[in-house]
Amino acid sequence: MKFKDYYQIMGVPRSATQEEIKRAYRKLARKYHPDVSKEKNAEAKFKELGEAYEVLKDPEKRTAYDKLGANWKAGQDFNPPPDWEQAFEFKGGGFTSDEAGVYSDFFEQLFGHTGFRSAGREHFNVHNRGQDTHAKITIDLEESITGATKTIIFNIPETDAKGYLQLKQRSLNIKIPKGIKPGQHIRLTGQGSPGLGGAQAGDLLLEVAFNPHRLYRVIDTDIYLDLPVTPWEAALGAKIKVPTPEGPVDLSIPANSRQGSKLRIKGRGLPSKKPGDFFVVLQITLPPADSETARSVYRQMQAQLDYNPRQSLGLSL
Amino acid sequence: MKSSDLLLVYTGTVIEEDSLTLGQLCKACGTNADMIISLVEESIIEPSGENIHEWRFSGANLVRARFALRLQRDLGINLAGIALVLDLMEEREMLRAQIAASEHRHTLR
Repeated sequence: MKFKDYYQIMGVPRSATQEEIKRAYRKLARKYHPDVSKEKNAEAKFKELGEAYEVLKDPEKRTAYDKLGANWKAGQDFNPPPDWEQAFEFKGGGFTSDEAGVYSDFFEQLFGHTGFRSAGREHFNVHNRGQDTHAKITIDLEESITGATKTIIFNIPETDAKGYLQLKQRSLNIKIPKGIKPGQHIRLTGQGSPGLGGAQAGDLLLEVAFNPHRLYRVIDTDIYLDLPVTPWEAALGAKIKVPTPEGPVDLSIPANSRQGSKLRIKGRGLPSKKPGDFFVVLQITLPPADSETARSVYRQMQAQLDYNPRQSLGLSL
Repeated sequence: MKSSDLLLVYTGTVIEEDSLTLGQLCKACGTNADMIISLVEESIIEPSGENIHEWRFSGANLVRARFALRLQRDLGINLAGIALVLDLMEEREMLRAQIAASEHRHTLR
């Protein structure tokens, strides 16, 4: 077991006052809160921070921790001193934790297990039905278009026979319904936490997210594609092949199309009762002037076209 | 036949727009009705339906409600503060999506 330096985690000296510890916690909690933070490992950091604060904010736990001495280094191999349990009575709770399995082995050795204490949160459920649990599932756009079966593996807190919370790994094969949108939820009845005393289990609620796609963007039920076109295709109009998740389609580009023009292919978005649309956004790309032929065509345009793109800036050529 | 040959596939139901009742949302969030009512009063979540008996919540409401409860518990923010954080985060997400889209466009060229 490795020693954890709670002072180092919170970035405060060992002499810090309770007030300083609280301020340090608030500041770091804002920085690393997994909902808000985009830092890497935000979740792990936030848990570590919560554990450090759990010990340092409580004068009794802090005193006990301080008694271990100042010579321990983070990561050093550690075993509690032999007289530890007699000196301090921490086993059997004394603090609450809403989330399961939050604390490290180091913490549990010193301050005991987090008992299962859900009583305060259960009062809406008179029958002790199991709680609903949540997980995220990330799928590819194509899997929503055709429907798919996916295996997800997730950690789920379970109470063992002694009432302690433990993280168990579960894997489930799940049918991805055709046309599911990012942000929608799939409810799996009875796959949540088991009920207490033989009561009904809770549900598992899966929030669906999409992997970023190489070509397409999804907004609600609509799919967007940025389509590179040549200046002459945009200017003169053209019939071109366009990729869609369901295979290529022919698209007519009207003459005099502009950069950023949106063309709609109806009903080629995500499938549903009211299917979304597929939007093509034109991106006009210039051919490079890297040959004498190309340069001569550009020179010809320069000589023959009376075109001033900066008219709106109030400048003449 | 080996047991691994048996592929058990679970089929769930999709939570459609505005389909969760107050009770279902409470259960899904592990909280009580009072708390959800406070979230509605603060416009953090907005159900459809004329009165509390007809309230129906969307999946997006579920995400926002759980988010609000976590922020309240972990950071001690009050409801007005949470409403503001949520709005700003939504704006930030939208801007990020726009940046990602324009970066995407550049790589295509």
